[in-house]
Amino acid sequence: MTFRQFAFNNVLRNKRMYIAYFLSSMFTVMVFFTFAIFAYHPAFSGGEVNDTARFGMGVAGGIIYVFSFFFVLYSMSSFLQSRKKEFGLLMMLGASNKQVRWMVFLENILIGFLATVSGILAGLVFAKAILLIAENVLIISESLYFYFPTMAIIVTFASFMFLFFCISVFVSIILRTNKLVNLIKGDKQSKGEPKASVILSVLAAMLLLVGYGTALYVKGVQVVFALIPVVIVVTLGTYLLFTQLSVYVVRRLKSNKPIFWRKTNMLLFSDLSFRMKDNARTFFMVAIISTVAFSAIGSLYGFQSYLTKGIQEVNPYTFTYSPWGGDSEEVTKKDISDFNAILKEENIDAEMESMELTYFETPEKDRNVMIVRASDYNRFATLIGATELDLKENEAIVVEQSGAILMDGTKASEVLMKSSVLLENGQEIQPSRVIESEVLLEINGYYVVHDQVYDKLGTPVRSEINVAWKAKEGQHDQVLQAGKKLSEQLEYKAFSVDYTLYEINKAYGPILFIGLFIGIVFFVSAGSFLYFRLFTDLEGEKRKFRSIAKIGLTQPELKKVVNRQVAILFFLPIVVALIHGAVALTALSRLFDYNLTVESSIVLGSFAFIQIIYFIVVRFFYVKQVNRSIM
Amino acid sequence: MLKLSKVSKIYEGKVAYRALTDINFEIEKGEFVAIMGPSGSGKTTLLNIISTNDQPTTGEVEIDGNNPHKLNKNALAKFRRNELGFIFQDFNLMHTLTVEENIVLPLTLDGARVKDMKEKAKRLANSLGIESIMKKRIYEISGGQAQRVAIARAMIHEPKLLLADEPTGNLDSKASKDVMGMLVSINEKERTSLLMVTHDPQAASYSDRVVFIRDGKLHSEIHRGESRQAFFQKIIDMLSLMGGDGNDFSSVRI
Ligand SMILES: Nc1ncnc2c1ncn2[C@@H]1O[C@H](COP(=O)(O)OP(=O)(O)O)[C@@H](O)[C@H]1O
Ligand SMILES: [Mg+2]
Repeated sequence: MTFRQFAFNNVLRNKRMYIAYFLSSMFTVMVFFTFAIFAYHPAFSGGEVNDTARFGMGVAGGIIYVFSFFFVLYSMSSFLQSRKKEFGLLMMLGASNKQVRWMVFLENILIGFLATVSGILAGLVFAKAILLIAENVLIISESLYFYFPTMAIIVTFASFMFLFFCISVFVSIILRTNKLVNLIKGDKQSKGEPKASVILSVLAAMLLLVGYGTALYVKGVQVVFALIPVVIVVTLGTYLLFTQLSVYVVRRLKSNKPIFWRKTNMLLFSDLSFRMKDNARTFFMVAIISTVAFSAIGSLYGFQSYLTKGIQEVNPYTFTYSPWGGDSEEVTKKDISDFNAILKEENIDAEMESMELTYFETPEKDRNVMIVRASDYNRFATLIGATELDLKENEAIVVEQSGAILMDGTKASEVLMKSSVLLENGQEIQPSRVIESEVLLEINGYYVVHDQVYDKLGTPVRSEINVAWKAKEGQHDQVLQAGKKLSEQLEYKAFSVDYTLYEINKAYGPILFIGLFIGIVFFVSAGSFLYFRLFTDLEGEKRKFRSIAKIGLTQPELKKVVNRQVAILFFLPIVVALIHGAVALTALSRLFDYNLTVESSIVLGSFAFIQIIYFIVVRFFYVKQVNRSIM
Repeated sequence: MLKLSKVSKIYEGKVAYRALTDINFEIEKGEFVAIMGPSGSGKTTLLNIISTNDQPTTGEVEIDGNNPHKLNKNALAKFRRNELGFIFQDFNLMHTLTVEENIVLPLTLDGARVKDMKEKAKRLANSLGIESIMKKRIYEISGGQAQRVAIARAMIHEPKLLLADEPTGNLDSKASKDVMGMLVSINEKERTSLLMVTHDPQAASYSDRVVFIRDGKLHSEIHRGESRQAFFQKIIDMLSLMGGDGNDFSSVRI
């Protein structure tokens, strides 16, 4: 057998590892390429996406590239790890260091080249789908039509050939060939069980507790200051959790005979504790990468919902009109008739209400406060289906917007409840209670008084007209059109919630898309780390099960062990990441004082669901492999 | 106790290969039988069929009057674990477990009580002289010790039939003698039937009866008389008579 034949036969014999390595390299290239197709799309060279977004895409491309580098490096090293024995054999057969290195280099360059080419081809196939998804996530008026991405191909090919070249050189240089010969004999020998320090285990738990505690305790702006320290503490805690605490726990379990000697536990835990050091690194990486993915996607989604829901909540009307301070009565009259004309043009069926918003001096004479006639309030309330107020004579009520907080941190109602409504005759009426409503937009809150009281207020210091429309359901498209026209003709005076949200989503789209993209890339590569871990140990596992099967192991017993083993590998790091993510998103929600429970649950739940599917699929093939080997 | 009638085995494949032909063969309760034969003669195949790790193509195997091959896969695995004991050339022990854990492993799978398991393991370890290494790991002990651990594991269920494939194949002559001595004493004390495949005439001479097979057929058998030394000589004579592709027994012809 010549050296070349030997190398060739190796490829055939180790095909699963080669395929795994090849596929994950190809996947990396594909991800980068798809992103490049998107980033170099002609639609973006025009004015549609501004410089900031393009800069964002550049940064995102950079992140993907750097991440690809480490990902390929990791894949390659676990690929080489699984083949150490084979290199040892080669060297025993008389291959020189140089030959083995040359072989490793050639192999990697070849796989790299093939992965780059097929990644680009696969990317082209998916390009149409990706552009379609992008078009929907990113509200853009121009369509992201399919184009031939020459630039993206060139950039991807050049970047990845460079990447694979560097990594191949790097890996073949650091390959410690002199140690390899020992490996072939040492293969069966274990180095002994990894040990864990009690102090470091306790430290791990403490770091996590302190990190979580701080993250959950801080509020508002404090969150920003706590961010970096908490991230460091939790990352360190996570590392120690996997390298120390989990090793410690497994060791304790092993020394507990009633547990360890129970049924299949011995088969499960014995290897678990031996492999804990190798597993720990994978667990740590997977947990951190997944946390980044979860938090990034959760934050972006949460932030979008904060922006849009916040606006939706305080703007229950479809359209509102409020004039400039100096606008004369003629101007506002004309504006309102223009407004109605536009609505008519777009065939919008809407009801309109208007009222004067009047401001009076407070008894303290330090500021003005809005006071509203109960009947006016109720007209507006009816329009949006809010509860009407039933006031007694001589009663005044404080109304504030739900969740609104003044600049100094107090609530509007606190100030208003302390003050009172001053009548023209000098009499003061104490407000009786506070209600929350979104009927009128006034951040400082206002009083609603009985109509009879209102008539005794005298002349207001200031007054302005406020007009609101509520369109019937199911006219979304017309409303958007009208909103666009209104914002052009009556800039800053007319406000349309739907159109504003549309504009926000449009601006936010690229950020969300890029975030989603990177998050998913991180998550998928975390999955591939797990796959590598699992299949690197497959040979050892097969040997173990084969030897037990000879003595007698039933299918349910085998399935139980494999099931739990794969489940631990797949869910331990992800559960940690989910907890990290949940804490991070809770902290985020405290930063904005906005409830993100629904958004967090959707994001984390989706990831957990995907992971379960992935687990089921991988387990199926794994059990099949193990079963085949013991037949 | 063990009865084979007209057992044949054909390995299907690109070329079908007939590994065993019409084997008729019986072992009494408490008997110690050795099987010898040149390499490729079908010894391991025969043992695999008896150990239910493999199915005969035709013919019947009866253990204590029942045919285990009629059981389904899971029942078969349980049967193997509870009724048979195995000893392998490569010991087949788990490296990540201690000696004691390896011994009790088959019992743990059946959910036995920890106290019972510990007691049984201790008793076996005492009789096999391995009580001092119970907490050690497999890579910390010698081959002879490893094979004694394997014997303890095989015996923990008090099997009816102990099957051994080249138990001394990886041991030096001193360790071989120790291990064979242990097997004989188990065979005598516990009245466990013992079937052993071996290359080694020295090991075979510990048995009550040696069965020779060649090209998948029974060739002949010899019984042990009064002295082991004479039995050993008879075995060597028979082997040189069978000769054929002699390399296999080169170690014998010193
Ligand atoms: N799984 C198998 N498939 C095909 N042929 C086999 C298989 N196992 C063993 N054989 C063949 O059957 C014959 C007997 O093998 P074996 O029982 O292992 O011999 P021994 O143990 O006496 O050396 C050999 O020629 C071998 O090549
Ligand atoms: Mg054999």
